[in-house]
Amino acid sequence: MTVFPDHAATSVNFNVKETIVFDKETKKSTNRLMGLFRLMPGYRWRYALALVMQFTEALSNTLALVLLGFMVDQVLNNPAANLVPALVLVAIVYVLLAILRGAFSFTSGALAAQTAEGIALRVRDYLFDHIQHLNFAYHDKMKTGDLIQRVTSDISAVQRFFQEQAIGIGRIMLLFLVNFVALLILNWALGLFSVIVVPIIAIMSVFFFRRVSKAWDAFQDQEGKLSNVLQENLSAVRVVKAFARQDYEINKFEHENTERFRLGVAFMKLHAYFWPITDFITGVQMMAGFMVGGLMAIDGQISVGTYISYVAMIGWIINPMRNLGRLIVQVSTGLVSYDRLAEIMAEDWEVLGKDKTPPISDIKGHLVFKNVSFEYEPGKPVLHDISFEVKAGQTVALLGSTGSGKTSLVSLLPRFYDYSGSITLDGVELDEYPRHFLRANIGVVEQEPFLFSRSIRENITYGVAREVSDDEVERAARAAAVHEVILSFPEGYKTVVGERGVTLSGGQKQRTALARTLLKNPRILILDDATSSVDTETESQIREALDTLMSNRTTFIIAHRIQSVMIADQILVMDKGRIVQRGTHEQLMREDGIYRQTYAMQAQIETELEMELMHV
Amino acid sequence: MSEHFGFEEEEFQGSYNLRTLRRIGTLLIPHWRATITFVAAIAFVAIVEAVETLLVSRAIDEGIKAGSADTLIQTLLMYGFSVVLLASGVFVFIYVTGRLGQQVQYDLRKKLFNHLQTLSLAYYSKTPVGWIMSRVVSDSERISDLVSWGLLDVTWGTVNIITALLFMALINWQLMLVVLPLVPVLLIIATWFQARIIVGYRDSRKANSKITGNYNEMITGVRVIKALNREESSLDEFGALTRQMYHSSYNAAWYSALFMPSVMIASSMAVGAVVIMGGRQVETVVAGGMSVGQIQAFISFITFMMWPVMEMARVFASLQHAIASAERSFSLLDTHADIVNRPAAVDPGTIMGDIVFENVNFYYDEKKPVLKDFSLHVKAGETIALVGETGGGKSTIVNLVCRFYEPRNGRILFNGRDYTELTMDAIHSRIGVVLQTPHLFSGSILENIRYGRLDASDDEVFEAAKLAGAHEFITTFEQGYQTDVGEGGGLLSTGQKQLISLARAVLAKPELFVMDEATSSVDTLTEALIQKGMDALMDGRTSFIIAHRLSTIKSADRIVVIEGGRIKEMGSHSELLRQKGHYYNLYTKQFREEREAAYRKEYAPQGEPLAAGL
Repeated sequence: MTVFPDHAATSVNFNVKETIVFDKETKKSTNRLMGLFRLMPGYRWRYALALVMQFTEALSNTLALVLLGFMVDQVLNNPAANLVPALVLVAIVYVLLAILRGAFSFTSGALAAQTAEGIALRVRDYLFDHIQHLNFAYHDKMKTGDLIQRVTSDISAVQRFFQEQAIGIGRIMLLFLVNFVALLILNWALGLFSVIVVPIIAIMSVFFFRRVSKAWDAFQDQEGKLSNVLQENLSAVRVVKAFARQDYEINKFEHENTERFRLGVAFMKLHAYFWPITDFITGVQMMAGFMVGGLMAIDGQISVGTYISYVAMIGWIINPMRNLGRLIVQVSTGLVSYDRLAEIMAEDWEVLGKDKTPPISDIKGHLVFKNVSFEYEPGKPVLHDISFEVKAGQTVALLGSTGSGKTSLVSLLPRFYDYSGSITLDGVELDEYPRHFLRANIGVVEQEPFLFSRSIRENITYGVAREVSDDEVERAARAAAVHEVILSFPEGYKTVVGERGVTLSGGQKQRTALARTLLKNPRILILDDATSSVDTETESQIREALDTLMSNRTTFIIAHRIQSVMIADQILVMDKGRIVQRGTHEQLMREDGIYRQTYAMQAQIETELEMELMHV
Repeated sequence: MSEHFGFEEEEFQGSYNLRTLRRIGTLLIPHWRATITFVAAIAFVAIVEAVETLLVSRAIDEGIKAGSADTLIQTLLMYGFSVVLLASGVFVFIYVTGRLGQQVQYDLRKKLFNHLQTLSLAYYSKTPVGWIMSRVVSDSERISDLVSWGLLDVTWGTVNIITALLFMALINWQLMLVVLPLVPVLLIIATWFQARIIVGYRDSRKANSKITGNYNEMITGVRVIKALNREESSLDEFGALTRQMYHSSYNAAWYSALFMPSVMIASSMAVGAVVIMGGRQVETVVAGGMSVGQIQAFISFITFMMWPVMEMARVFASLQHAIASAERSFSLLDTHADIVNRPAAVDPGTIMGDIVFENVNFYYDEKKPVLKDFSLHVKAGETIALVGETGGGKSTIVNLVCRFYEPRNGRILFNGRDYTELTMDAIHSRIGVVLQTPHLFSGSILENIRYGRLDASDDEVFEAAKLAGAHEFITTFEQGYQTDVGEGGGLLSTGQKQLISLARAVLAKPELFVMDEATSSVDTLTEALIQKGMDALMDGRTSFIIAHRLSTIKSADRIVVIEGGRIKEMGSHSELLRQKGHYYNLYTKQFREEREAAYRKEYAPQGEPLAAGL
């Protein structure tokens, strides 16, 4: 029923990033108000009009008050006037002014809402896209909770800045201006006399709301503590029960609850002082104004009508001022929110090069690493001087303890990170291939794969952009030995995984991710401990699928068991970011080194086990 | 921050429930003095405001128009006096109402929290923590807002309207009758708008929680999105959500923006009527004629009538929410624990002795039985290792021993006596429990260990820590036992948390020890320490251990392999190995894994080449 403006749809193409004025050194935007202003293209006239409407609204309001004064002087107190028609005219004009005022107020409100919601929409849309275009390094260092906080609360704060605060301050100023000018016109001396307390009220208001916002923060901190006690109590309910510590918990909660009560009352007390005090000051000012005005009226310096208009107007000058401080304090929190958003926006996108043509469109998978080094944090290298060659279609196994750099090494291939040295793919430097192209041709199955809380089907088809037939999906799932499992779920392939649906075991997740990769059908395959959670029986089931997948494809295997790596064409043994041994299983067995020792250790364990079992 | 980003708001759909409303009212009974005070204060304020209007009109008529400076000054001094009265009234109502609101919230939270402590584990296992948190945190706030500020606004509104109508009637009752229809008109407009504004806000909140959910998933899954080149595809879906949010928020804002003007235009018509009808009678000598000041007063009364109406509409709109909140909170308060002391329950002074499961059946959900006809005789002082796959029923057995749940059928005997004949406290004060994921509470290490026995001296705490093998690592901290463990123990490692919870159990000097061993790996040293702590606890006590490590399993007096709610195999380590059954498979697999891990750790510090293996 509401008329929705269509401009909302066009906001997608607006590049929010370009609006920020950000100093990367200080991590602060250099001009936050300017930054907010630059978010506004497409809404600037709308917002300006909203402000103009506030002005015209204030004007028509004041006119209505003047009209009443006019009625008293020119109609009621004028024996010459033709009473009834004049009164009808006054009434009509009064209602018309109210309608005008209503129309202005509504238009202003609607325009401000359009602006505020439109900008929020724009920022929300942009940040979603922006965040997923930031590189791995950024995501490694940011906490999810922090990012979520920013894209929700901070965007809302920016929205409120436009919808309530900026326009609210404008409104207070305009009401003051219009009514003050009207008063000056009615009688300048009276006008000046009436605004004596206005600066006092405005200053008090700013000070008061600063205090209040501190008290509010303290109260909120305590609320956090209380929630924490509650949360810990609820999640540790077994501990509480097992030690029969209910009374202790009750006392602990009581303590925090009492403190919260105390802070809550302290917060209310501030209000209980501010409002009556300003009520009193305003009241005394009004009384004094009425008195001076009244005496002037008796004296004949002003008319009764003027006096009546005056009485009505003075409230419109003083009362709104009491809220000025609240808005100013809110603006400052709004600006902090803007900073936090600008900080995200200032990050540069990872260039995907979707439109670029790759130097070679049909890659074979011949890889050469030459003196490759890499570090997540400057000064803490995780890969040193890595050099090796993989022929197209070969399988390379990486063996090494946690933290030896295996995963870091393979994550260079899809260009998730920047490195030094040279990696060539089919003779061309890796960074000459667009990232988009590389990622389309490289498939990764991780140890703990991430699945989206969508249907299993959507998860399996997630890696391919085209439409996929049910048959194809099923074939992939069968090959990954997960088809039967999926069918056992209430809604089969439509079953949603995750919080709102079924929870998959580690092995089931790995197999689903494997199906996802099988369907993607990449040229280069990376199996990062991909079958660690799959039991032995199931592993033999997916062996075949894996073998098919690996044949004729350059494959990287990161694994823990010698059995899984011995079939590789080349085995790289890694330690502390370096390759310490390389060769085939046979070659490595002939060398003295980690590989043979590992093998020996595994054999040793088997012997030990046999010994154990013999002695029972 | 809560992980329930996708938590959707529950909304109240039903009609006003008078019983709930009455029950909300009872929350005020203990604070009847404050309630009466603030209601009186706000009524007083409303009346003083109306009197001020009358005083202004008197100043015009009898002061200015009559040309009497004395009357003017005298009237305005009365106005000044009313300003003082008004300010005092405002002080009283803000202070008393604010305090009362906090008080009601305090009461409700306390009541809810205390009640929660009595509920059984069954309740917690089927109720998400997030849901309970919302009841205690947000619902109590909404309810208290209703009985404090809500009641305040309604009182103010009602008194304000009634006084205005009364004073208008005193000035000119015919004209008041003309104005009277404005009241229902305003009320109708206000309710109509509020209903729509609420729908808009509700929709936008829903869209917002979906948007948050999407953001959360995108950020946590960003590596997959990148690896699979899906940056563009999720945008359409997300765009649809943000657009939905735009529309519902804008919708609410649109109605809000139209609300005030509508009320104002309706009032202006009443003002117009007063101008025409009142103005005609001005200064006519006839009885009932009106003065300029009186017309001015009428106009003031009408214009100020719109505020109370708008406030009241707001309260009625939030009433729905508050009732829904109250229904949920009250439902929590009305939930009774399903495991309570039986009427003749006793505390035998000890629970030492044999523990017997006698044909125990148990299920959490009637359709999915967990334990079927389960029988087990455990001798006093025996250590039982429970092994088997996840979901087989090991945790259930432990939960039943602790009496977190009771058997659906069958009995559990402590020392020959059905344990339902004992008090809960008799059992709970004599068991020591260590969970797989050790829960610590914010505070110092000392406080956390002392949780096991509140009256323990510091020395006793140190002693327990030493026995549990926790003392060494604690003393390496700068602040030793005073070290803060962080929220939920977040500043410590899993192994350290486990050691502290062992110390906590040691301190409790339990007669029965129950432990769910951690699966997550800890370093060799910590593991040895944990083993030491466990030995200290198992020594001479009946113990149930859900075991994951071979050393624990092997040192048990008896191993019970649980599968599908039944005992699959039972016996000593060597007996079971000889059977070459389930236990055999489990053992050999575990053996390989543990040995490999051990080799790696053993050699790691020396930097032997083998360290890098596997």
